[in-house]
Amino acid sequence: MRACSRSDRRSTGGCIASWCAAVLVPLASGCGSDRVAAPSADAGLAAELRSRLASASPAAAAADAAPVGTGWATLKGRFVFAGDPGTPRALVADKDTEVCSKDGVKLLDRSLLVDPSGKGLANVVLFVRKASRVKEATPSSTPVVFDQKNCEFLAPVVAARVGQPVDVKNSDPIGHNTNVAGSDFNQLIPAGGSTAYVPKAETGLPTMVTCNVHPWMKAYMVFRKDGYVAVSAADGSFTIPDLPAGELLEFQVWHERSTGANGALGLDKPDLKWTPKGRFQIKLEENEVKDLGTLDVPASAIGT
Amino acid sequence: MGNRLAGIFWSLLFLAVPVLGVATFVVGPLYDIWLPKDVSVHGRSIDSLFYFILVLTGVVFVVTEVLLFWFLWKYDAARPNPVAAFIHGSHTLEVVWTIIPAATLLFLSIYQMNTWADVKMRRPRIPPTVEVVARQFEWRLRYPGRDGELGTPDDLFLVNDLHVPVDEEVLVQLKSMDVLHSFFLPNLRIKQDAVPGMKTPVWFKATEVGQYDIVCAELCGWGHYKMKGRITVDTREDYERWLEEIEARQEATQPEPVAEVAGQ
Amino acid sequence: MIPSTHPSSVASRGIAAGSLSGTAPAVSRPPAIGLSWLAVGVVVTVAIATTGCGGAPAASFRANLVESTKQRLTPQQERQVATVMLALFGTPDEPVALPETGLDQAKLTLAAGPVRSDIVGRKNGLYREHCAHCHGITGDGLGPTAAFLNPYPRDYRPGVFKFKSTERADKPTRDDLVRLLHNGVPGTSMPSFALLSETQVDALVEYVKYLSIRGETELALARAFFELDDEAKGELQQTREFLVDEMLTPVADKWRAADEARIPVPEMPADIDMAASIAKGKELFYGDKANCVKCHGVTGLGDGQANDYDDWNKNIVEITKEIDGTAERAREAKTSGMTEEQRAEHRANIAWVNRFHGVLDGDALQPRTIPPRNLRQGIYRGGRRPLDLYYRIHAGINGAPMPAAKGTVPPEDIWHIVNYVRSLPYGFDGELGADRSTTSVQRDRM
Repeated sequence: MRACSRSDRRSTGGCIASWCAAVLVPLASGCGSDRVAAPSADAGLAAELRSRLASASPAAAAADAAPVGTGWATLKGRFVFAGDPGTPRALVADKDTEVCSKDGVKLLDRSLLVDPSGKGLANVVLFVRKASRVKEATPSSTPVVFDQKNCEFLAPVVAARVGQPVDVKNSDPIGHNTNVAGSDFNQLIPAGGSTAYVPKAETGLPTMVTCNVHPWMKAYMVFRKDGYVAVSAADGSFTIPDLPAGELLEFQVWHERSTGANGALGLDKPDLKWTPKGRFQIKLEENEVKDLGTLDVPASAIGT
Repeated sequence: MGNRLAGIFWSLLFLAVPVLGVATFVVGPLYDIWLPKDVSVHGRSIDSLFYFILVLTGVVFVVTEVLLFWFLWKYDAARPNPVAAFIHGSHTLEVVWTIIPAATLLFLSIYQMNTWADVKMRRPRIPPTVEVVARQFEWRLRYPGRDGELGTPDDLFLVNDLHVPVDEEVLVQLKSMDVLHSFFLPNLRIKQDAVPGMKTPVWFKATEVGQYDIVCAELCGWGHYKMKGRITVDTREDYERWLEEIEARQEATQPEPVAEVAGQ
Repeated sequence: MIPSTHPSSVASRGIAAGSLSGTAPAVSRPPAIGLSWLAVGVVVTVAIATTGCGGAPAASFRANLVESTKQRLTPQQERQVATVMLALFGTPDEPVALPETGLDQAKLTLAAGPVRSDIVGRKNGLYREHCAHCHGITGDGLGPTAAFLNPYPRDYRPGVFKFKSTERADKPTRDDLVRLLHNGVPGTSMPSFALLSETQVDALVEYVKYLSIRGETELALARAFFELDDEAKGELQQTREFLVDEMLTPVADKWRAADEARIPVPEMPADIDMAASIAKGKELFYGDKANCVKCHGVTGLGDGQANDYDDWNKNIVEITKEIDGTAERAREAKTSGMTEEQRAEHRANIAWVNRFHGVLDGDALQPRTIPPRNLRQGIYRGGRRPLDLYYRIHAGINGAPMPAAKGTVPPEDIWHIVNYVRSLPYGFDGELGADRSTTSVQRDRM
């Protein structure tokens, strides 16, 4: 305060005041952390929306979309990976080593499985987004088998219909638990035992399945109400039979390592109107077996 | 002129201190702002100590402040006053006003010894009634259960809801789980710091049935102000019945019927 | 000491530094009042400058930026979601409860808004007084004290609650939440609110449900954009069928269903031989059906497992992996050979990564692994009744890795495990040594 200690007392007071202001006002204006700006709601629109929702009478239950077309058709194709899959990394399997790293065998990451001979891309999921009719109204009671051995799930991706039982087995001499994210299934499966799981709701996109005792174990499950879902096999091929013919069907395509949002696999196929959201559209003739042929998945579509 | 006004202003301002000071002590009790209701056995002697010191310090306070006002008023620079004489202090005065406070303090320290001994030194030889563990920001209680021994599987665990029987000596084993707290029962005139790492015995005897406060009296963090508990003094039968209820609830193997709200 | 200096120079000392004039006092020396009024003026100015004249700005809910950025919503889409949320749920000061939510507006009013008294003298603003500093005003577990707590306070928005009496994916019943408020969560910073009145606890439970329903609806709206057809042009339908019937009602229905969905618990036989039950429980604890030791450790200290996450932290971990993957690809991409479209996508990816880093900085907490419970401390977060332990073992813990034993372990056996677990803090004779992992043991803050 040396600058303020002049013998003239009036300017002393004023000097102190201005010194205080110069220091404290900037401090007061805020040292808050800068969080990303949140979107501001449009208050006028919100008020109008609220009054509209309040006055609107509850709609009658929307009638199911009228069935379109007649007959059934089949869709098939083969996904081929154009890039270099590289070597899969080894998983850190540090528990129950006498079973999980038996004889020093290392468990490998199976998120990108490419058939070495034909470059077929396995575990691509396709399903119909909305179908107006289904061939079989009731889901099949044949269970889909989901097994685990040597501390890995035997099938990286499994598809089933809502209401179709999934036989969750444990072929290991040790216990596992199978945790289907977003569902109410997180169950202990005793060694050599099995539990039936009947999915009650369809997943949007495939949902992750893990084991909490052995956290490196990972798989995916996808359930659809109409059952029109397929997972590409080891050679990249898939078939979906009994699709409703004569109806414009929109398919969603997904792969675990796809770079698209939420894993959607967008390919460059304008004839199928394939969008970056991983959707394509196709209308099938009755009794047609439509072969989409080789679907090239470029290296840029698959990430880490 | 302006000077004299200033002198009057400051003198009256300083006079307001003893006036308002005394006024708060007179008006407070009229609005029920005074010592909390005393339901303990030792409360009376603690409160009388408080009053004694209050009166003593109050008298000295008023006298000193009035004298201060008087000197401000009389010896204001704006008033015609003789120039002060320079003296080198008065030895007699200094001795007097050292001896008198020392004697007073000595008197007080001897006068209160009995009360201190009763409250803090004569521990009743009974097993602990309850273990109170202070924790940010609640009071965790542990009753010994049916076997009367703490640390066995039948212990009863509660939070913030201390029950004790009336007219019986109660021994609390006070601990802290994290930082310094202070177990303060205003209505029982008990205050004891809970020091982490120490097991401090606290004892009291409540004389009246009712619900009173437990508050924390040692700054322990941001939630210190709301670290409140409740001590309920029950008759012996009510107390035992309550313990049984807690035990039944704690050992529940069936859910309570939906209509009932959990807790008490 | 009697001051021995001249009275007038005492008055003048503060004014003119150093000039101790010993002359007779001049009657007309300006009083010290001048300087003190100036001092008062300075203090008042500074006080106003630092605190302002108006009250605090009205509180507002914070959007779920983590989810909207994960879904790659555009600013217009984020604003759409915020507007719909404002319409459906109101503000922290004025909550709106549509009839479909099944919430009681009176209770919400009691709990919402700033702390104040209403016209009959009841205290309002209970949530802000008791809960907001940890759980945040939006119920997102991001209150000002959240970062200092271990474990983190609950984020209600995904609608996942750990300690309840219903099956894993169901919501907690009202009684579950009331019990949680009464007991607190021992071993965490969640205190007991047993001293609040019944009305106040009810109001807080209702408000927590409101925040949870609100949060889950917001998640549903953010995710709905992905499901839109291209004709919608990235805009949600502003109809009652979509916004209320499809987005809000399914969430609220789950809460309604919870109150009827308590897990039926078979009685533990009253004449049970406790020692035998504990021995049987120990067998099961170490056995292959229940697999308890795999996570809780052969010593019961919770050291069998150290690298799993609960759902809230796992979400951030997965998101961080995705961001890092995209960032790495963007770094390695060679912009020279790109088409205009690819270049735009590349730039968009970089912008997305940068924005997400900012969002995670301000709107997410550093992920922490979830250690399995140390069962030898006698601290049970969800309640210490045998019944509570039965619920935990039977249904697992929603949001946490603890799996359900139902179906694999029959109910009588679950009771045996419960009895064994309850005996652990008082005497342990399990196997020490072998397969003892070297990770550090988690001791709960008691």
